[in-house]
Amino acid sequence: MTKTRPVSQWEDVETTDPVANRKLLANLLLEVARCVDHEVAVKVPSALDADPRVEALRHILLEPEQAALARLQQKFDDPEQLAAAVGAVLPAAIARAISHDDRLGHELAPVIETATQSSIRRDPRTLINILAPLMGPAIRKSVAETLDGSLQSLNQALKYSLSWQGLKWRMEAYRTGTSFAEVVLRHTLVFRVEHVFLIHRKTGLMLEHVAAEDATTKDPQLVSGMLSAIQDFVRDSFDESALGGIDTLRLGEFLLWCEEGPLAFLAAVIRGNPPESLHGVLRETLDAIHAENRTALENFDGDVAAFVDVRAPLERCLAQQEKPTHKGTTPLLWLIPLALLLAVGYWLTQRYLDGRAFEDYVQRLQAEPGIAVTTFERKDGKWHLTGLRDPIAADPKDILGALRIDPAHVVGNWEPYLALHPAIALKRIQATLNPPPTVTFALDGDTIRASGTAGRRWIEKARTLATALPPGSAQLDLTALGDLQQGEIDRLRDAIQARPVFFGYGDALPVPGQEPIIESLAADLRELAVVSRRLGVAVRVTLIGHADATGRDAPNLGLSLARAEAVRSLLRKRGVDPELLAVRGAGPLEPLNPGATEQDRSLNRRVSFTVSILE
Amino acid sequence: MLQKKICMLGAFGVGKTSLVRRFVDTIFSDSYLTTVGVKLDKKTLTVGGETVNLILWDIAGEDNASAVRTTYLRGSAGYLLVADGTRASTLDVARSIATRAEAEIGQVPFLLLVNKCDLRSEWAIPESRLDELTALGWTVRPTSAKTGESVEAVFQEIADRVVR
Repeated sequence: MTKTRPVSQWEDVETTDPVANRKLLANLLLEVARCVDHEVAVKVPSALDADPRVEALRHILLEPEQAALARLQQKFDDPEQLAAAVGAVLPAAIARAISHDDRLGHELAPVIETATQSSIRRDPRTLINILAPLMGPAIRKSVAETLDGSLQSLNQALKYSLSWQGLKWRMEAYRTGTSFAEVVLRHTLVFRVEHVFLIHRKTGLMLEHVAAEDATTKDPQLVSGMLSAIQDFVRDSFDESALGGIDTLRLGEFLLWCEEGPLAFLAAVIRGNPPESLHGVLRETLDAIHAENRTALENFDGDVAAFVDVRAPLERCLAQQEKPTHKGTTPLLWLIPLALLLAVGYWLTQRYLDGRAFEDYVQRLQAEPGIAVTTFERKDGKWHLTGLRDPIAADPKDILGALRIDPAHVVGNWEPYLALHPAIALKRIQATLNPPPTVTFALDGDTIRASGTAGRRWIEKARTLATALPPGSAQLDLTALGDLQQGEIDRLRDAIQARPVFFGYGDALPVPGQEPIIESLAADLRELAVVSRRLGVAVRVTLIGHADATGRDAPNLGLSLARAEAVRSLLRKRGVDPELLAVRGAGPLEPLNPGATEQDRSLNRRVSFTVSILE
Repeated sequence: MLQKKICMLGAFGVGKTSLVRRFVDTIFSDSYLTTVGVKLDKKTLTVGGETVNLILWDIAGEDNASAVRTTYLRGSAGYLLVADGTRASTLDVARSIATRAEAEIGQVPFLLLVNKCDLRSEWAIPESRLDELTALGWTVRPTSAKTGESVEAVFQEIADRVVR
């Protein structure tokens, strides 16, 4: 601005020279032309620049502006001053820019991003410290809600994954292409809002209460007060700013959800498993109630008459979702298949037990000598047995006795046969031989041993049988058996036969002095009768009368018979059974001594005895 | 229908709970007092032909260990202050509670009930002290939880005063 310019023609303004004046005028016109026409200004240089007076004039005219411009220039040139100036207007400028449109935000975003990044690079703790109070609760809440939700669905998924229902739902998930968890949620989201309380926050007094049909509660006014007290208690006991009181409370099968508003709160008592969206419904209802009844809520003094209109919106909160009911089936219908199942089970058990009992029976039959079961089967509710049975074997029905089998349900088809089993052989021998009680049999392996004593005839019979037993059968050993006749009967026979009774010549009565002999004979005969009866042996004693060879034969025969009759009579008198005694007259034909001396003849006049055992 | 929140306040063991037990409807057990520190009862009365439900907040008694939770006082239309006539110290506690109650909820109607008036012989509060309080504008009413003396009357009186 202080430049020195060369002196020009403009400085000779006051000249009177016409040439000079013309020149001046020309210059002036040229200057005007320059001002008017841009092209002229380019072609012709201005003469004014060279005139120092113009500069002086400009100086005089523009001095205040120039001073102001100089100050501005100085502010622009000095960073300190420029920063102070911009800083003073920046908040207002930003406010204006933001209010106008959001370009400033867009423009600033990359800058802020860069700034944040550089701040984190420099020291991440700064940003953490800034965000922690903000993010902490938000993250906690979000995590808690997510976890709560996942736990809930996990519980349900686990609960239903292993059941029949679970399998059906898995099929449904597969069919519809949705996740199993979604299907489970859809089917199990069953809930009912049973009560909704609208409670005045400051006084804890109940403003309104609605309940689902047939849901019961004790005095709702007291319940409201207590809910309010518990909210206060929780807020009081813990950090009021962190918690807005109880949000969710689970009490057994009930769930209490509270929605807090500034003047009133809603408490919903829910049974079951409500969807998260129900929170939204409660929230909206509470907001609407606040909006419509703000004055009434603020001035509430215990008169609930002002809140009759809130009933309708509260009733809309009584939502529910019912479990799909099974079509037409009642629990009673389950009893039919159950009863059938039980009946079938009972029948099968009985049949099995019957089968076991019958197998047991067949085993016992097989073990029985003389019975051989070949087949058995159940037909028309009866057991049919087929096999061989020795007729003298045990009766199969007797073996049945101890077992739990109805004899009417057993049909036996037995083919008779002769069993060779030693026990049966013994039984058969006993049946055939009809042994006296003095005989006993014992089984020794395949041999039947008889012991004791028996009559000779029986022994003979037994011997015959023993030789006739079929090959392969048990053998009958009789060696240990004693012969009865060798014993008592033989002794008596010998004693009786050894003592004849003698007679005198021509006499039919015994020679006197023989009474003792007759007495002892009678005693022996009586004993013989007893013994023979005991042994089952038929005995006959023949009294044979004899005569000597003197005289004629015919009278001698009569005499001999008379002698025998006389002795029989004497014996009868002495108690001998007459049935036992037979008489015969032998005359002189059977002499004891064939000699002719008197001695010989007297020995021939006698009654002799013959004891015979009858066949 | 009108509802009013009324608090029952007093030192520990003055017989607040016994005082109302026979005269109110309740659904909660006394164990709430020791757990939550408050138990709610309801007393239905008629004031000027209109039914009034007094929702009685029976607040756990104050002792050396715990002060009354003043949070529970919020929104009270009035309160019943109970002292034990046989223990002079309970009157001091009552006065202290009254001061804190006024700070919390402002001036609301209240009655001072001097309980155990059936034990006049053991009375430990001089009449002069009660007269002092009456002079301060307090309403003092002797009551007995044991005989039920004046209990109905004080409920009616507090109801009349809070509805008025």
